[in-house]
Amino acid sequence: MTEPRGSDPAASGRPPWLPEPAPGRAAEAVPLWAEGIVRWHRGGGGVLGLDLSVGQGELVSVLGPNGSGKTTLLRVLGTVDPAQAGSVAWFGRRDRRDPAVRRALGVLLDGTAHFETLTGYQNAWFFARRFGLDPSRARERLNRLFTWSGLGEAVHRPVEEYSLGMRRRLALVEAVCHGPRLLVLDEPTLGLDWGGSVDLVEMLRRLARAGVGVVLSTNDVHLAERVGGRVVLLDRGRAIRQGTVAELLREVAGLQRLELELRAPVPLERLATQPGVEVAGVAGTTVRLLLAGDANPVQVLRGLDGHGHLLAGLRVERPHLGDAFLRLTGRTLEAGTTS
Amino acid sequence: MTRFLSLPASIPARELAELVRRPRALAVKMLFPLAVAVPLLHSSAPGFYAAMAVTMLLATMAPLGAGAVLSRERSAGLLLRYRLLPAPPGRVGMERVLAGAGVDLLQVVPVLALVMVGRPGAAAWWPALWLGAAATLVAGNLLGALASTVTRSPGEVMLVVLLPVLPALYLAGVFTPFTDPVMGTVTRLLPFTYLHQALLGALGGATTMAPGPAAVGAGLYLSAVLLLARPVGRRLLEAS
Repeated sequence: MTEPRGSDPAASGRPPWLPEPAPGRAAEAVPLWAEGIVRWHRGGGGVLGLDLSVGQGELVSVLGPNGSGKTTLLRVLGTVDPAQAGSVAWFGRRDRRDPAVRRALGVLLDGTAHFETLTGYQNAWFFARRFGLDPSRARERLNRLFTWSGLGEAVHRPVEEYSLGMRRRLALVEAVCHGPRLLVLDEPTLGLDWGGSVDLVEMLRRLARAGVGVVLSTNDVHLAERVGGRVVLLDRGRAIRQGTVAELLREVAGLQRLELELRAPVPLERLATQPGVEVAGVAGTTVRLLLAGDANPVQVLRGLDGHGHLLAGLRVERPHLGDAFLRLTGRTLEAGTTS
Repeated sequence: MTRFLSLPASIPARELAELVRRPRALAVKMLFPLAVAVPLLHSSAPGFYAAMAVTMLLATMAPLGAGAVLSRERSAGLLLRYRLLPAPPGRVGMERVLAGAGVDLLQVVPVLALVMVGRPGAAAWWPALWLGAAATLVAGNLLGALASTVTRSPGEVMLVVLLPVLPALYLAGVFTPFTDPVMGTVTRLLPFTYLHQALLGALGGATTMAPGPAAVGAGLYLSAVLLLARPVGRRLLEAS
């Protein structure tokens, strides 16, 4: 899915997923403005009073554990579901069913369905045409996108023969084929291999440079760091912190991150109260500790208190965005919202 | 036509393209109505029973088929993708439902053709026959679409759609004709009546209606269900 594979030498040299330049676009309303969004499910979970904006060319990653409300939020922002309270405006329009709004959006949801017996190309053609591309532009863009996506050889195979990764690549092709000006992507790297994930990040950055707003959800801290831009930390339906990747990392910059892999769960209390331990969190048999910069990690292990034989491995690393979340909530991203 | 099917750009084209890519399923789909109708139409079965069986065939296959398919499309996430298309949801949903009705009509064309070929002298009933069949199939698809919004599986849909269809068939006089004037009025308000009357007429059975009024009634009924297609289509796409 690297860009050079998809660059058609005969074409203009523009990546195939870039929107067409249009006069006056710089003056248009902000791509996404959401204020006080509430969408709560009967069984619990959802989004509670969340504010979010995405400017032109801005990259925003919504980072949170499973069950924190990411998918609910993205479904509202992607015009799938209405907000129960609060308001959302896309390019200044508040009607989520407005065809102009939907034409300006590229939406990728976590469970993207396709017409299984049709080929990948037939699927993409259907959506490209329904999103307003005329046949010649649809053909030109799809040919380039299929090459870029690495699906070139599978283009005429039925989707029922595609792997999960191929389906996600096809869904990406469909999401960007009409040149949207705002991308709403739920877990976009789900099913992608490392190379595909790297190419996706590169694509998103280039789209942003071309003025496309991007909002994506993930619980992969490394993806959010690679994408850059602004990060919204989501917990139990609320945005607990927003800031650039650099700002959030600065908050944990002076700390050490100690990760203990254990053969069985051990009590956290003694570890958490060792000198130098600022925050402790646990996800299954992994214990994550944020230590003061001058703390001695070896001394902290005394807190295992007779359970030292259960220690299978330890790592001392620089903190990442997940540690900013841990510091704010006392819980790891991997643990989900129930721990 | 090849291009229409090889590069589908509309929901009806997509429906047909999927059909032709599954030749075995297509063959079963086309043979099933014939398997029911041919023995009836080419045996010495009285017109009343043949008309009853063919009416029941059309009245049940459309809601059962549409309900099951749309229920599967809902759980697979395809209806959600339709919801995000840049067009009013009512129009997209209507397109989806009417595409299903169109495929059903293709499926019963051989059966209706057999009815016509069997008794060319009953040509006066043919307009009512086609209008009644179209109305029944559109209504059945609408019912299947609605049922798919309140159920969680194709199996559940089958139970839900039969609940209104079977009493409606009875009240439409499909199983036994009504002579009572009150019931006669009720019958005229119900679906399937006009198709059943047209089949009776076309197959040489005793009717309670003339061909002209039956065609007008079927046409009005078809117009009514077409008017309902947009709100039902919207409900189909917007139901979570």
